[in-house]
Amino acid sequence: MKLQRHGVVLAIAAAGALLLSACGSDPSTTVGGNSSAAANSPAVDCSGKKSLNAEGSSAQKNAMDVFTQAYQAKCQDANIAYNPTGSGAGIKQFTAGLVDFGGSDSALKESEAEAAAARCQGNPAWNLPLVFGPVAIAYNLDGVDTLTLDGETAAKIFNGTIKTWNDPAIAALNSGVNLPSTPINVVFRSDESGTTDNFQKYLEAASKGAWTQGDGKKFNGGVGSGAEKSAGVAQAVAGAPGSITYVELAYAQDNKLGMAQIDNGAGAVALNDETVGKAIEAAKIKGTGNDLALDLKSVYGTTAAGEYPLILATYEVVCSKGYDVDTAKAVKAFLTVAATDGQANLSEAGYAKLPAAFQQKLLTSIQAIGSGGQ
Amino acid sequence: MTTTIDLDAPAREPTFVGVSAGRRMKNAGATALVGLAFLIALVPLIWVVYSVLANGAGAVLNSQWWSQSLNGLLARQQGGGAYHAIIGTLFQGLVCAAIATPIGIMVAVYLVEYGGRSRLARATTFMVDILTGVPSIVAALFIYAVWISIFGLGRSALAVSLALVLLMVPVVVRSSEEMLRIVPDDLREASYALGVPKWKTIVKVVIPTALSGMLTGVVLALARVMGETAPVLILVAYAPYINFNIFEGNMASLPLLMTVERNNPTDAGSYRVWGAAITLILIITLFQLLAAFLSKVTAPKTK
Repeated sequence: MKLQRHGVVLAIAAAGALLLSACGSDPSTTVGGNSSAAANSPAVDCSGKKSLNAEGSSAQKNAMDVFTQAYQAKCQDANIAYNPTGSGAGIKQFTAGLVDFGGSDSALKESEAEAAAARCQGNPAWNLPLVFGPVAIAYNLDGVDTLTLDGETAAKIFNGTIKTWNDPAIAALNSGVNLPSTPINVVFRSDESGTTDNFQKYLEAASKGAWTQGDGKKFNGGVGSGAEKSAGVAQAVAGAPGSITYVELAYAQDNKLGMAQIDNGAGAVALNDETVGKAIEAAKIKGTGNDLALDLKSVYGTTAAGEYPLILATYEVVCSKGYDVDTAKAVKAFLTVAATDGQANLSEAGYAKLPAAFQQKLLTSIQAIGSGGQ
Repeated sequence: MTTTIDLDAPAREPTFVGVSAGRRMKNAGATALVGLAFLIALVPLIWVVYSVLANGAGAVLNSQWWSQSLNGLLARQQGGGAYHAIIGTLFQGLVCAAIATPIGIMVAVYLVEYGGRSRLARATTFMVDILTGVPSIVAALFIYAVWISIFGLGRSALAVSLALVLLMVPVVVRSSEEMLRIVPDDLREASYALGVPKWKTIVKVVIPTALSGMLTGVVLALARVMGETAPVLILVAYAPYINFNIFEGNMASLPLLMTVERNNPTDAGSYRVWGAAITLILIITLFQLLAAFLSKVTAPKTK
């Protein structure tokens, strides 16, 4: 009798085990869009470790998804997990050695660089600006399809000096546009954000002193209403005519918001691949050697024609050396694919393609990543 | 003519026959209040079940959902499934159960059969009570401190299982203890009288008698820990691909999948969140049913 009872329990356990081992699979995704990128696709060594682990900035999450597709098209059964936990967490986890590379909205600070070098067995960590996202000054204003702003006017709007849409300062930049007399409703990011930080840095550099509030991850303008995350601010603007915000391109596009042209002093510049590419090319590199940390102040303060200055650079923080052999191979393979094949479908996800010259610099750095100790 | 006597009828008229109007009104009022409280308690339950079903049914009715991972899909791309997360939840839960069940049952056996009123037994009971009240985030941080900060081991599904063990052991101890206590002493004494040693009495008489209730307790405890979110947030990183290795690398689980996809503002994101929610509820319901079934199958024969 007892044997029978135990038999039933055993049978259940066996059935459970069978169910568990019933094979699942990964979906077969086809990388759509432009396949001409395959032409400049370099040889990639896929023999590294199969699962890469990365963590950091949420601003580059969608770009990472695109890169992952390209990487898996190139290297069969290679995997990468990118967890968008934020720049601070990315650097912390990288320094602790819990992830293979980190993603960050800003280059490593000096104190962080020391800790990162310790993680890389005494070799410096490099900042590789792989993903560029243009930030749109997005607005929702009935009957106004094109709006031009310059740094000074933008600063005054976002710190409350300019309160209505038909303010003379805006009208002067938009001759021929019928501006309503409604008040301007500023929407800002209520959470801490790299986008806010970069936007305020831009205002600081480009406003000719009109922005005195400084930078930082919190919005310091002191006007308007806050909303959570990029999706939140974009939706808030979409739902309220007369409002304006700063948000990554993809969100402005998805919510069909107007995007202001920026006048650096050499005419209005619209936000598109070409103008952003020009700005990226003009960016000064402040890192030395293969460390490509950028000085975006030079871009923000630009007066050159045809450059869209408001861009966000996100870095991959990697070890120059000090990985084990398999990890080094996989990191190199992933970053190489990201910088080449991965660029093809990037614009759809709301990011800017790398200009050719900059792409070459990145590839040189990526090739120099090595394994081993000193 | 025969007179039938109703044997069930009281021999004498009861003293209080008519219930006064005031009492009946009080009774009706109390019944209404209790019924209303029941309905109010039911509202959130039905609401939750309805919204989960309404939003998530589309996801789980798709056969891909049960057989594919989310590997290589863009955030806004539809398709894929939760296979990787289901596997992760089951693996982490089962590994946890494999560690926590023997420990829990042995502690319970000690407390009931050997400990008696000794100081160690009282201390153990006290500690188990404290452990019952430990929030999952504290268990997770403790394992993080020991496993990752001190021993320098990486984040892995095993670390999650260890944190879950901390949460599961006290529940198993408590339920097994209760079950062992209600085994009648007569059975033990009968066994001793036949000259059977104590350990054999426990293994062959006491545990089989209590087995039904103990198994139910274990499965219910397992169902409880499988929905825990704090340990997976801290001790393992999300992976969109299938990972069978609990010792190394990232591994998804249903609560983790929900947390990650909640930050995905697209339609595909909400589809996955609700799908994962319904899947988790289904799995836990399945375990509850399994517990009921097991308790029936292993119940001691009464005839």
